[in-house]
Amino acid sequence: MVNLILKFVSCCRAADMRISTAEVIDCLGQLAFMDTCGEPLFQTILRANFAKSRREQGIFNRLYHLFFHEMQSGLNPESVFPEKTQAGQPPAPEPGMTELLRQFKERPDDAFFTKNQGDTLDRALMEFLGGSPLPFIAEVQKIHTQDEQASPLFRSNLGQLSSRLEIMLRINRLKTRMVQFLGAHDAWVNKDVRSVTAALNRRLDKALEFLNTDPRPDNAGLRETGSHTLHYKTLGQIPFSNLTPEEIKAVKEIIDKLVRKLEEISSRRFSAASRGMVDVKKTIQRSVKYLGVPLEIVHKARPLRKGKIVALCDVSGSVWSTARFMLNILYSLKTCFSRVKSHVFIERPFDVTSFFMSHDANEAIKRILNDTRINYNARTDYGMAFQQFRDHHFQELDKKTTLIIIGDARSNYFNPRESLLEAMRNRCRRLIWLNPEQEKFWGTGDSEMLKYRDHCNEARACGNLNQLMAFIETLVL
Amino acid sequence: MLFKNVNDVQTRMEQAGYIPSPEISTIVFLAQETQKPVLIEGPAGVGKTELAKSIAACLERQMIRLQCYEGLDESKALYEWAYAKQLLYTQMLKEKINDVISDTASLAQAVDEIARHEDAFFSDRFLQTRPLLSAITSKDPVVLLIDEVDKSDPEFEAFLLELLSDFQVTIPELGTIAAQSRPFVVLTSNNYRDMSDALKRRCIHLYIDYPAIETEKEIVRLKIPGIEERLLDKVVQTVARIRELDLKKKPCISETLDWARSLMILQQDEITEAVISRTLNTLCKHKTDYGVVRANIGQLIKA
Repeated sequence: MVNLILKFVSCCRAADMRISTAEVIDCLGQLAFMDTCGEPLFQTILRANFAKSRREQGIFNRLYHLFFHEMQSGLNPESVFPEKTQAGQPPAPEPGMTELLRQFKERPDDAFFTKNQGDTLDRALMEFLGGSPLPFIAEVQKIHTQDEQASPLFRSNLGQLSSRLEIMLRINRLKTRMVQFLGAHDAWVNKDVRSVTAALNRRLDKALEFLNTDPRPDNAGLRETGSHTLHYKTLGQIPFSNLTPEEIKAVKEIIDKLVRKLEEISSRRFSAASRGMVDVKKTIQRSVKYLGVPLEIVHKARPLRKGKIVALCDVSGSVWSTARFMLNILYSLKTCFSRVKSHVFIERPFDVTSFFMSHDANEAIKRILNDTRINYNARTDYGMAFQQFRDHHFQELDKKTTLIIIGDARSNYFNPRESLLEAMRNRCRRLIWLNPEQEKFWGTGDSEMLKYRDHCNEARACGNLNQLMAFIETLVL
Repeated sequence: MLFKNVNDVQTRMEQAGYIPSPEISTIVFLAQETQKPVLIEGPAGVGKTELAKSIAACLERQMIRLQCYEGLDESKALYEWAYAKQLLYTQMLKEKINDVISDTASLAQAVDEIARHEDAFFSDRFLQTRPLLSAITSKDPVVLLIDEVDKSDPEFEAFLLELLSDFQVTIPELGTIAAQSRPFVVLTSNNYRDMSDALKRRCIHLYIDYPAIETEKEIVRLKIPGIEERLLDKVVQTVARIRELDLKKKPCISETLDWARSLMILQQDEITEAVISRTLNTLCKHKTDYGVVRANIGQLIKA
């Protein structure tokens, strides 16, 4: 039992689940508490100890099913689920499977296995066939996290795709070899061997399915608000990209008013909340006025607890119209936050904080637009922008930072690298995605928004004044 | 009295008015046996806090609740010295203090003499206990509910780690205070932010979702015994459909109960568009949500 749990834990870790030894010990201890351990109970205990958030439960369930239901070899079902004998129980290993695999692997005429012993991937596939999915899971995980080449001349999204294709081809080759093996050994072709071969083929199909199904976390905590208060009936509904110069002016005035209102509310709130502990030193000093009687109790002013903001803005095409208003608001409200940093990107991020530090928001935006270092003609590549952000600016994110990404998630079919977004989420307090497109367009064409949404704490459409006002009020208040 | 087994949890919780799923019963039993905190995740209003209350009722323990929020610190969660009281006491006992140091020859001696008596001012008398300290110093074991822990700051979360692993706290003036009896700890989170791995490692995890239709019916039956089966069915089905809409706040179980009660008071046994419109404020708590429900009202009735 212990070995079995440890093997399962290794598979979970290979799939990037963080499970500590203490949790394994807890789990084994809890299993020992239970007199009888039916499968639902067994699964509940494992899940409660290994998947410590709703986000991980989907990945856990997938691995659990693969390990305890598909990979029956080496697993003695009676030892795990003693009282269960019917449906839902892992099927018993096919008799003769291990022997057939051994003979298949040791074919004297197969140069592939005898000379090179196969590479890591071949060995992983053979182990998968033998009932140990760990090396294969690790190979698949590599695909999800592999970096694309950051070449300035040639970029492609083929890194992940070609790795995936390579595994698919190997699986197909293995299937062909299996058929050849059986053809060359007529004596083996009897009923038992056929059933074993069918079982092995099923496993290879499972390997394919595992490879082709991307793990999607259950993002139960996602705040996704499509509805919002209609502050302004006409102007508030026009997409930012369609505003005329007069309307832009009107929107700016409204934003200025909003900023003043929010600053006032926020400063009132913080002054009320700043009453901290008694300041003994000052209280004694003041008591001198009252002949040493501490009539006036002085409290320590608590430092303002305000979040840091890092904004990552796509500045291509129509997204820029939203990003400029957002940046304008963020820097106008900078007194409400302890730090605001901003980066703009098309294919790679560019730190524009200094523009806003030395100029007012509108002037800074003008200068950013004229900066020759930003290639406005490049094709948007979110995966590459995230990769570069991870490599050069990850230190800006900490548990007090709210990361706001403003973009339409249209990545020109480049590799979206959503695993990087997950890494960003894990480093910051909250990850918020503002998309200038309305929800009905998310996931259409080259939009990767549905993939990215799984990794955000909050995702909302933000393409007009009403939506922007609704968001900024929730951010500040 | 402690739970004997998982079935005992199920039975006693139902008697206390909480209908747990087998998973909830298992986790509650394991948490009791292993003395580990339970970290409960789930949307607002699915009964996370209620679960802690029911556990307290079943185990006949007092429940101590700490509501977390941004800016919560040790002085609000653990303890604080009653500075004002200490100052007043020093004023009132001025004469006595003068007596204590009257025989001393030098300033250093006077300070030493005062130091010998400083325990008088840093004693339990001047200690204001907050929920966490109350929970671990209580002679009888309690149920400690740390509610909405995701709203607290990372610093406070780090502070909780010591408490949840060793069940002891250190007060510089008094030393280390170890728990007299281990509380049954329940932490709840609405997923506003992700909790740290270190905190999660110390807890058993439980996710509670909106109840399945049959479970919700059982809950309503239990809380509103006189409800007609036909109305109950329609209420629960309609609420389930409303939850599928894009709302700022989805109706939770207590709102289902409020709505069912309102319909009974108004003697409505049919759910029509007009009835939903008139009683919508028991289900929706945002102006924009009214609009969304009204726009889809036909679908809610038709389906």
